[in-house]
Amino acid sequence: MGAVLVHIDLDGDRPHPSSLSALAAGRAVASSWGGTLYAALVIHDPTDRGSTDSTGQISHSHVPGVETVRAALARGGADKVVVAVTDAPIAAVWAAVGSAWQGVLDHLRPRLVLFGADAPSAGELGPRTGARIGARLLVRARAVGLDHVELRDRDGGYIRASDGGAAVVLIGATKPTTVGDDDIDIVVLAMPGGGDPRIEIAGSVPTDGQGVIVAIDEVSAGDPQILSAANRLAGLLGAPLVKSSATPLAPELCVSIGTPTLDLAGASSLIRLGHPKTGGKHVDGELSGLAATALGELVKALEEG
Amino acid sequence: MKRAGTEASGVAVWLGAASPMRSIRWLDGTLAAAAKFGSATAVAAGDPTWLDLAADRANRAGLSCAGVPTELQLDYLGWAQVMAAVARQLGASVILVDEASRPERFPEVAALAELLDAAQLTHVIALAPDQTKERGAVIHASRVSGHELQTCRIRGSVVIGVRIAGPAIDEYPTPIPSASMKRLDLAALGLDPVVLGHRALPPRTGQPTRRTVARVAEYLAVHVLPRKGT
Repeated sequence: MGAVLVHIDLDGDRPHPSSLSALAAGRAVASSWGGTLYAALVIHDPTDRGSTDSTGQISHSHVPGVETVRAALARGGADKVVVAVTDAPIAAVWAAVGSAWQGVLDHLRPRLVLFGADAPSAGELGPRTGARIGARLLVRARAVGLDHVELRDRDGGYIRASDGGAAVVLIGATKPTTVGDDDIDIVVLAMPGGGDPRIEIAGSVPTDGQGVIVAIDEVSAGDPQILSAANRLAGLLGAPLVKSSATPLAPELCVSIGTPTLDLAGASSLIRLGHPKTGGKHVDGELSGLAATALGELVKALEEG
Repeated sequence: MKRAGTEASGVAVWLGAASPMRSIRWLDGTLAAAAKFGSATAVAAGDPTWLDLAADRANRAGLSCAGVPTELQLDYLGWAQVMAAVARQLGASVILVDEASRPERFPEVAALAELLDAAQLTHVIALAPDQTKERGAVIHASRVSGHELQTCRIRGSVVIGVRIAGPAIDEYPTPIPSASMKRLDLAALGLDPVVLGHRALPPRTGQPTRRTVARVAEYLAVHVLPRKGT
C-alpha cells in the first residue's frame, strides 16, 4: 500500500494528545497493511519567506524547536516526520495552514490520512483533505483488530486494507503507544504562499467548547451518587456538566441523564440515560431504568475500556 | 414570485439533501443569516417532500429557492459536486451551509469550498455582511474553534458553515408543492448521474438505537479524551 499520513497538531511544544491517538491508530494500520507511517506537522517560521518554487523546497536539515516533537512522534511509532514550514501564523483553519498542508499531500500522495478527531484543526483540515484527494471520509473512527486491522466508525462505516481508493479518517480516542526509538528521519518542506488572505482572524476569546456536553436534570443532580458518576463521565469526555437549558445547542454529542430540557440541533448525537420513555426518534443510544445504575455501569465500562 | 439566478447574485444557501433532524429552527436560522445579504438563493436537493419544505421556509425568509430533484444518495463529495454546479449556474461566490441540521452536512462545507476554489470557514455562530466604500465587501463572522471564540473578517469567495438557530418552532404548516421553486435537473447542471454514482453511499441499514451498556460504551469510547502524555 501507499503512505499512511498522520496530521499532527501541536499543544505548546508537544504533539496534541488527540494527534498522538491518531498516530497510534496509524501505527496499527501501517504495520498491518504494510505501509510507511508519516507524521506531518505545519510550523510557523516568520523568517522563512518560502521560495519562488511553487512546489516548495525539500531539505533534511535541522529545524529549531521541533526536536521534542520529533522524539515524541518517533516514540509514538512514526517512521518518518515531515515538517512543512510556512510564513503564515498557525491557526486551526484551512485558510492559515491549508497551503502548507497541501504541500505535504503533494509530496507524499498518501492513500490514508488520519487526524485526531479532537485535535484543533481536524474539523477544518480533515474534510478539505478528503475533498482534495477524492477520499472517503470517516468521522470518529478507531482501529480495531490485531492481524487484520481496520478502521471503523460509530455507525458501521469501515476502511479495510482491501478497499480501493484514498480515505481520510478522524480518529477518536485511541491509547497512544510507545513503540519506536527517538531517531527517525525528518524531511522539511519550505512552503511558499502563506495563508489565504480571504480569511483574517481578527481576535479570539475563551468560550465553552461545542464538542460534548453531559446534561442532567434537577432530580438526578440532587442525588449525590448520580451527581458523582455524572461528574466522572463528564471528566472522561472532557465535557461540561449542564442542567436544563432553553438555549438551542449544537454539540457534537450530548449525554442526557434523566429528563433535562434540551433543544438540540439535528447534527448532535444523543445518548439518554435513565429516561422514562424509550425508543424516541434520533436517539443514538439509551439505557433505561434507574439513572444511577445505568450511569454507574457506563462509567465503569468506559474507565476500564 | 422570485426567480433563482436573476435577483440573487452572489449569495446562495446550501440546505442539503434531506430534511433537518429534530428541528427546523437551525435551517430557519441559516436562511435568516442569508437574508442579511439582501438577496440570496436557497438550494436543496433530494426528494420532492424535502424540496417543498425547503422552498416554503426559504419563501418565509424572503429568499428565492432552487431545487434539484434526485433519488441519488451521495456522500459529502457527491453532494458538494451538485451544489457546486448550482453555485456556478447562479453565479454565487458566497455560500452559506446549514451545518447544524444534520450530521453529514458538516464535511460538505470543505468539499464545496475545494470544488469552487473558495475559502472556507466552519462552525460559524454569527454573521454580519458589511459593505463600505473604504473596505469593500467584508463579512464579519464569529466561530467556535475548540474552546475559543474567534472573530474573523472574510473577503472574496467563501463557503461558510453556519450554526445559527432561528426562533423555536413546535409545529409548522405542511408545505404545499412550491410553484416559485426553480427546479434544476442534473443534466442541465452538466452532471451525469452515472458519474455522480461513483460517490454514492453504500447501502447500509440504519443503526438501531444502542440499548446495552456495552454498545453505548462502545459508541462513547471514541469520545473519551486521550490522556496527556509523551
